[in-house]
Amino acid sequence: MTLPIAHGIAQRADLPITLGLFLFGSVVVLVVSFVALAVLWRRPLFEPYPWRPLSGFLSRVLSSRPVEILCGATGVALLGLVIYAGLKGQQTAAANFTPTFVYVIFWVGMVAASILFGDVYRAFNPWRAIGRAVAFVARLATRGELPPPLAYPRRLGYWPAATGLVAFTALELVNSTPDDPSTVAIATLVYSVLTFIGMALYGVDAWTTRGEAFSVYFNLFSRLAIFETREGVLGLRPPLAGLTRIQPGSGLVLVVAAMIGTVSFDGLSETGLWVDIGGALGDLFGSLGLSSETAFEVSNAVGLVAMVALVFALYRLGIAGMKILDERRPAGQLADWFVPSLVPIALAYVGAHYLTLLAFQGQAMTYLASDPLGEGADLFGTAEVGISYFMGARLIQWLWVALVVGGHVAALALAHDRALVVYRDEQDKVVPSQLWMLAVMILFTISALLLLLSSNA
Amino acid sequence: MTFVIAHAGHWLVTIAYFIPVIGFMAWLAVAQLRARRQRERPDSDRRPPG
Repeated sequence: MTLPIAHGIAQRADLPITLGLFLFGSVVVLVVSFVALAVLWRRPLFEPYPWRPLSGFLSRVLSSRPVEILCGATGVALLGLVIYAGLKGQQTAAANFTPTFVYVIFWVGMVAASILFGDVYRAFNPWRAIGRAVAFVARLATRGELPPPLAYPRRLGYWPAATGLVAFTALELVNSTPDDPSTVAIATLVYSVLTFIGMALYGVDAWTTRGEAFSVYFNLFSRLAIFETREGVLGLRPPLAGLTRIQPGSGLVLVVAAMIGTVSFDGLSETGLWVDIGGALGDLFGSLGLSSETAFEVSNAVGLVAMVALVFALYRLGIAGMKILDERRPAGQLADWFVPSLVPIALAYVGAHYLTLLAFQGQAMTYLASDPLGEGADLFGTAEVGISYFMGARLIQWLWVALVVGGHVAALALAHDRALVVYRDEQDKVVPSQLWMLAVMILFTISALLLLLSSNA
Repeated sequence: MTFVIAHAGHWLVTIAYFIPVIGFMAWLAVAQLRARRQRERPDSDRRPPG
């Protein structure tokens, strides 16, 4: 075995301050926030949290049947366009509507929409819309004698959603041709079939709440938003507070670990560390007889799963630390209770990592919408519009750091609030238990900044 | 098989950033375990001498 050490993860040459200072400053912010929370935040603010209804007219319009049908139909039309353009359009990512729409507008843009406006994906979810429409027609055809769906198995929990999330990111990060339009279209078709099977077995609402990967993913992010609908009435709540009302269930920790771990792998795969590890794995799988392309994909799959497992293990390490203080509650229960506090971290990772993708590549939709198949059409007269790179590298780096640090501070606040509820009768455990969460948050912060602010050299 | 670690020169250095946090976690575990053992000790052991 030879170990030639040459070059690798290197600090980006254009950082405004050194990488070490970035990390030190971020850790200081976390520690100061932790102390401030311990001293100033003495009673839970999020459980229960205030909710104030908005004007009746706005609520009535947004929750009306015509708006519901319009949103659902839009979602279904876009799903159809994704599949049609992917299969029939020009097979180049830059000229085809499908890859940009799926990876940028849907995967990243819907996160931004969820943070700003709440659970809007629920209204536009094409699979939910089709499922509800089919159920409506079937009820009419059978004169209301449709057999009830199976009870959703408790054990299944969020596992289908976690699996779906990892599978989608594998399409993007493991597959050697992720932006091939027909590959994305076929994957969409396969996912649609699986989703319809889940809905047919367990009912549309049960499957979309726990089993459908994107519903669970966007719903978790939407809980950071200030908008919440209760019994058809739109209202306002404090930001972050919605996360305290997540229904815990088997696999929820894995969903959140997948949200953070998959983005982490995306960052890792651009570093020299992965050049070394992935290269060695590729050689290993190649020596077992796999083609170089398959060996590359298998090594990426190993890396992706390993990153999700690492995030899961780090979180469980923090929970194991909390267990030293808390002999009464099972570790699994503590893990379920505190996992919503990791959602702002997932947002920080997604936001920081895909910020430029959404800001720049998202603009490609102006011309791709005019010419979705890449065949020279100009439906809206925007086929010639270009991309404006309106943010400089320096601003982007500061935004990354602000997102990562802000996300982790929000996570600390949520975990602290939850600790005040869990240890309501054992106040002496609040701060010591949260020291473990602080340590986990610092590990996540350092990892995120290293992945963002380092580059291949 | 040749295992080439061409980029380790830099990423090994970056691992050093994690050492203080891991050290803090180790200290926290030791301190909290010690405190727990003290809590679990029978009352007679904690009685002041004399």
